[in-house]
Amino acid sequence: MVLIACVAVLPLTALAGASPFAAAGDDEELDAVHHIADGYYLDFSPIPKIELPRIFLIRDSAGKLKLDFFGSTKRAVASGRYDVIFEDAAHSAAAEDHADDEASHDDGDHSDETVEQDDGHAEDDHAEDGQAAAGAGGHNSPLDGKLVPKDGELVIDFSITRHLVFVWIVAALMIWLFVGLARRYRRGVGRETAPRGMLQNSMEALITYVRDEIARPNIGAKADRYVPFLLTLWFFILFANLIGLLPLSVTSTANITITGVLAIFTFVVVQMSGTKDYWGHIFWPPGIPIFVKPILVPIEFLGIFIKPFVLAVRLFANMTAGHLVLLSLLGLGFTLKSVYGTGGGYAGASAGVLFALFIYLIEVLVAFLQAYIFVMLSALYIGAALEEHDHHHGDDHAHDEIPQIA
Amino acid sequence: MDPTAMAWLGAGIGAGLAVLGAGIGIGRLAGPAMEGTARQPEAGGDIRTSMIIAAALIEGAAFFGLIICFFLQGKGA
Repeated sequence: MVLIACVAVLPLTALAGASPFAAAGDDEELDAVHHIADGYYLDFSPIPKIELPRIFLIRDSAGKLKLDFFGSTKRAVASGRYDVIFEDAAHSAAAEDHADDEASHDDGDHSDETVEQDDGHAEDDHAEDGQAAAGAGGHNSPLDGKLVPKDGELVIDFSITRHLVFVWIVAALMIWLFVGLARRYRRGVGRETAPRGMLQNSMEALITYVRDEIARPNIGAKADRYVPFLLTLWFFILFANLIGLLPLSVTSTANITITGVLAIFTFVVVQMSGTKDYWGHIFWPPGIPIFVKPILVPIEFLGIFIKPFVLAVRLFANMTAGHLVLLSLLGLGFTLKSVYGTGGGYAGASAGVLFALFIYLIEVLVAFLQAYIFVMLSALYIGAALEEHDHHHGDDHAHDEIPQIA
Repeated sequence: MDPTAMAWLGAGIGAGLAVLGAGIGIGRLAGPAMEGTARQPEAGGDIRTSMIIAAALIEGAAFFGLIICFFLQGKGA
C-alpha cells in the first residue's frame, strides 16, 4: 500500500526539489528527504535546533591518533580545526553566498531578496551570541556539510546523530517499561494472579502473541530459547516505528545503519543456531543432480547474506517511504500554491491534509506490520537453521520446508 | 541528453516498473489467497499469515528498485 502511494508521490517530490520549494528560500522545512535523513541536531521546531556533540577520531599530520570532542557542530567549526565540505557544488556555492551575507548583510544578487532577508532576521533573533546565520540550520549551515580536519585525516566519525538519540530513547523506554514489568511478574502478579493494569495487560497480550503465534509455530521445540531475542526485536522495532509517528520526533528505523544492525543480530543468531543439516543443505544440497550443485551452492551461500540484507532494506525502505509520502502530501498545498496561486494552495492543503491523515493511519498499521514481518522472518530463518531432518538420502528429497526466497 | 534529465527519466521509469512487478506479484498472491479463504474459511488465519509474509518478500524486492530510483532522483535534483 505504502509502495503504491510512494510511487504516486515520486514525481511530486521531484517537482518539490526542482523549483517551487527550492525557490522558497527556507527549503529546509519543506524538503522531505532532508527531514527524514539523519542529522547532527534535534529539531523541536519552534525552539531552535539543539545541536548534538561531534566526536572525531583523527590521525594528525604527525601520524598520532587523537580524539576530538565538541559540544556541537558550531563549536567544531569555531575551533578552526575543521573545514566544512558540502556534497555538491550548488550547496557550497550557496554557503559562500551565505557567508557573504553574514559579513556585509547586504543581499547582493539574490533573486529572492525578500525571502532571504526575512531568513536573515529570523536567524539573528535566535542566534544572538554572535554566531549569526551559520548555526541556525537550512541547507547552507555546517550541519548539512561534512566536517573534515584541516590537519591530518578523519579516521572515524563518532558524532552523535539524532537517529542515535532516538535509539537511546527507545532503549531507555524499553528498559524502564520491561524491568518494571519483570519485577511485577517476579512478585507474582500475572503468574499467580491475573495481570493487573492496562500496561501489564496490553504488554502481556503482545508478548504472548509473539511467543505463541510467531516463535513457537515457526521455530518448533526450541522456540522458547529464542523468544527473548524475538521479543527484543519486536518491541524495539515497534516502539521505534511508533515513536517516529509522534510530532517532533525522528524515526530511527528509517536509517539503514540501524536496521542493518538489527539484521546483523538476526544473522548472527541464525548462524549460531545452524545445525549440521542447515550447513549441509547450503554446501551440499541433498537430492539434486551433481552437475546442478556448482550452480546451487553459490546461490545458497549468498542467500545466507542476502536474507538479512533484505530484512534491513525492507524495514528501512518501508519507514522511509511512508514518511516521504506523508511529507510530500503535506507539501501538496505549497506546490499547488506556487503553480495556481492562493486558491490552489488552499485546495491543495485541504486535500493534502486529508490524504496525509489517511497515510498516517496506514503508517500506524505499517509500524505494527513491519515489526511483525521482521520478527516473523527472523523466526522463520532461525527455524530453518534449527530444523533437523530424518534423511532418506538417495531418494528425491523434497525440499518442502521454507521457500528459500530472499 | 542532459544527465539530470536522464536521471529523472530513469527514476520515473524504474519506479513504474518496480511497482508494476510488485503489483502483479501481490495481485497474484492475494487473489488465490482470497479464493482459498472463501473455500475454507477456517484456514483463513494461516492463509493470511503466509500471504503477509509472501507480500512482504515481494515488497522487499520492489523496494530495492524504488530505493535505486530515489537515489537517481536525488542525482537529478
